[in-house]
Amino acid sequence: MKRMDGVSPDLAAVDGRRRFNMDKMMTAVCFILLLIIVVIPIVMIVYNAFFYEGKFEISLFVEQLTEPNNLGAMWNTLKIAVFTTILGTVMGVFYAWLLGRSDIPAKGLMRALFNIPYMFPPFLGAMAWDMMFNGRSGYINKWLRDLLGLSVMPININSVWGIVFVEVSYYFPFVFMQVVSALERMDPTLEESARIAGAKQRQVIWKITLPLVKPAISAGALLILTTSLAHFGVPAILGYAKRIYTLPTRIYEVIYNSGGSFDGIRQGAAISVMLVVVVAAALILQNRILSAGSYDIIKGKSMRPTLIKLRGAKIPLFILAIFTLIMIVIVPLVMIVLISFLKAYGLPLEFKNFTFAQYEKVFSANGTIASIRNSLFVSITAGIICMFLGTLVAYVVQKIRPKGKGALEVISMLPYAIPGTVLSIGVILAWSGRILGINLYNTIWIILVAYLARYLSFSMKTSSAALLQVHSSLEEAARVCGASHTESLADVTLPLIRPAMVSGFFLIFLPAMREVTTSILLYGPYTRTLGVQIYSLRDAGMIPQAAALATVAIGIIIILNTIVTKLTKDRKGV
Amino acid sequence: MANVRFEDITFRYGTNTVLEHFSLDVESGKIVCLVGPSGCGKTTLVRALLGLIKPETGSITVGDRCLFDAKKRINVAAEKRNIGIVFQDYAVWPHMTVLENVCYPLKKQRVPKDEIQKRAMRALEQVHMTEYARHLPNQLSGGQQQRVAIARAIVVDSDVLVMDEPITNLDAKLREEMLLEIRMIQKRLGATILYITHDQQSALQLCDKMAIMQQDGTLCQYGSDEEIILRPANRFTFEFIGVSNFIPVLNSAAGPALDCGEQIPYSGDVPAEALAGGWEIGVRPNDIVFDAGSPMRARVDSRVFLGSEYNYFLSLGKKQIRMQQSMLDARTQGIADEGSEVGIRFLNVRFYPAKKGGSAA
Repeated sequence: MKRMDGVSPDLAAVDGRRRFNMDKMMTAVCFILLLIIVVIPIVMIVYNAFFYEGKFEISLFVEQLTEPNNLGAMWNTLKIAVFTTILGTVMGVFYAWLLGRSDIPAKGLMRALFNIPYMFPPFLGAMAWDMMFNGRSGYINKWLRDLLGLSVMPININSVWGIVFVEVSYYFPFVFMQVVSALERMDPTLEESARIAGAKQRQVIWKITLPLVKPAISAGALLILTTSLAHFGVPAILGYAKRIYTLPTRIYEVIYNSGGSFDGIRQGAAISVMLVVVVAAALILQNRILSAGSYDIIKGKSMRPTLIKLRGAKIPLFILAIFTLIMIVIVPLVMIVLISFLKAYGLPLEFKNFTFAQYEKVFSANGTIASIRNSLFVSITAGIICMFLGTLVAYVVQKIRPKGKGALEVISMLPYAIPGTVLSIGVILAWSGRILGINLYNTIWIILVAYLARYLSFSMKTSSAALLQVHSSLEEAARVCGASHTESLADVTLPLIRPAMVSGFFLIFLPAMREVTTSILLYGPYTRTLGVQIYSLRDAGMIPQAAALATVAIGIIIILNTIVTKLTKDRKGV
Repeated sequence: MANVRFEDITFRYGTNTVLEHFSLDVESGKIVCLVGPSGCGKTTLVRALLGLIKPETGSITVGDRCLFDAKKRINVAAEKRNIGIVFQDYAVWPHMTVLENVCYPLKKQRVPKDEIQKRAMRALEQVHMTEYARHLPNQLSGGQQQRVAIARAIVVDSDVLVMDEPITNLDAKLREEMLLEIRMIQKRLGATILYITHDQQSALQLCDKMAIMQQDGTLCQYGSDEEIILRPANRFTFEFIGVSNFIPVLNSAAGPALDCGEQIPYSGDVPAEALAGGWEIGVRPNDIVFDAGSPMRARVDSRVFLGSEYNYFLSLGKKQIRMQQSMLDARTQGIADEGSEVGIRFLNVRFYPAKKGGSAA
């Protein structure tokens, strides 16, 4: 018999007679914190885009909307996002199938390698590609030009297509990882029955396999689309030189040029509204496509799928996969490391030009050390706060289910769909003295507040999923055994979701460590983050030093990732 | 040991009324089975007793202690009600060992440490789980987890022990064992046990008293199992407990007859109101006997040997009915072959108005 999953609000109702009760308090805390962290910044953007000194004022928005630079940026943003999504999806699905379903050799190793671009900060990749194929000074470009005896550079990465190429190579894992796991969890008898019914191998792939993993493909594609639309790093590094703008870089440009004045921020807010509209349209479109199919055929447990023999195509496809890996993982990494040893950017990559001086500068300069410290501080703090707050919101939404839980859920997920740049503007507008005189501008706290809004949904999602697994009867049993509501939470619910909370922390901590999109608008003289510091060093022309700091950053990320993998593996055993 | 009194309980989920003015008095020191089809409100009643939901009206008292009274605005918190519960899905905490699970209620009652250990081990002894004290629940089978849940429920001296379908997930043999076990535990503790189930078979095996609940959440009969089988209060009880055949009754020119596609004369007594039309005769399979001299003739469609009895499907006119022949009758009267024609007689019949939409055998 059903155990009445939907009735936990009764517990709240039972306690409702008391004037003070925990459920109500937790609900109230959730609403208040989400109001402060998420709602106020978003409201501030909309307000400042359309109101001026308390009056409705559409002229600013219209002015920005009709500004040719902004329209061009909008067009670029769309073009880059659409092509990145299409190419990234095709690439992701192709390699997912190759590694998930064919008999290609060295699968385990390749799978691990294919996940690397996911943890590699894309803007560092863009830096590496710019070093190689910059339209004026790229190392490989120069080498190719001399080799082929050309008068112009053969490849120009500083173009819309260059941006698309770099974004594809770092975003295709979104689709790859989703589809690989869906392929692995798919019941192999579904394909086998199609073969038995008389379908050819090719027909099975097109008519059975791909349609079944369609939801996974859509989910991954959506992730690529929204990430690309909101992305700042790659277009900033590759596009600025040629004055190719996207909406996020345009927002940065406008604010940067105005020297951080209120007018500049207001203009940024108006462009932000354009960006949000574009993202929202993309989400709605995707939702239409995504809702077309949800299948239960993909089971949770792992099954051994039948592998398709590639025969003659095996070796060429293997070489292609290896080549792809070298191109997107190894070459950029090697390039950054090589440049980091150069005495000066532009010198030939010869041994006599190599030095450790850049690393000495990195480790002796107060700014860089401070940036590492800042990043560690905000990332850890944001991770811990989000871990608890996300769990609190998840608990209220899943277990207490107050009136307005839908609103709560939407509010906490909202920043997920709002570009980091936009969020930053909202945070600036909200917390630079305009509300209750609270001014956090130029302090580390404003970055922290922005991270909280940006990453809250991550921990909320993992905690939500874990709470769904904790059946309400477990908590009820504790109550009946004599535990108060608080005690039942502390003794039963929290210990059960602790592993999910920890993984929620790392899900926030790792991306926050290498983040640049949000903090680029928020940093002050003494509050640069690691990403910002690398970006500014490069912007100031100190490319080898930026490369050295980037190498250090990549080292930190690899170490942290290894620790996380170790930690989470141990947890599964218990 | 205490009696449990539900009075005038009404509970709604939104606009969906689950219980309306429901009253039931569970006698002290007895095993009372609350039996009813899925979704009739059994679990809701239990949750109200435990204090996990709050009814709109009525009161709940255990012994002379009032746990809930809508009028007097009394609502004792779940943790202060002192009721043992075995949930349907065990609800054994997966992050605690078996012993920790059983100790938990004692800890919450601030029982001294050395006594906790002693009492917990005694409870585990009673369910034969002492050697698993250090195991985690995921190392146990469903039946073992069930026993941990029972140990956790009996470790404190609760006034009342509630078991919500505690054995539905076990296999047949273990189910039998657990029923005996529950019986023994009740004897030892002398506690009042409220046992919830939709399975009449285990209810019959276990209970002292049975309460039958109907789909709409009303109580239709409360009594001993004998009373309920032999003197069902209404058609629902008759149909729900045990197997039953229903045949429409009509008043033909030649007197009372059964409508089986063709009219078959019926010689027994039929109350006058049953002849007015729209009534049915109800008869249990084991209340049908072979009688070579009976004018009521039927054909044997199939015969299945069930170990302790024979199960027949007979065609009476165009209607199929079910009949059971005990081993004793089979010895004395012999068994009927498939395809043969037999005379049958109804021993114990009841008359009920027909359900809307007609009813099958």
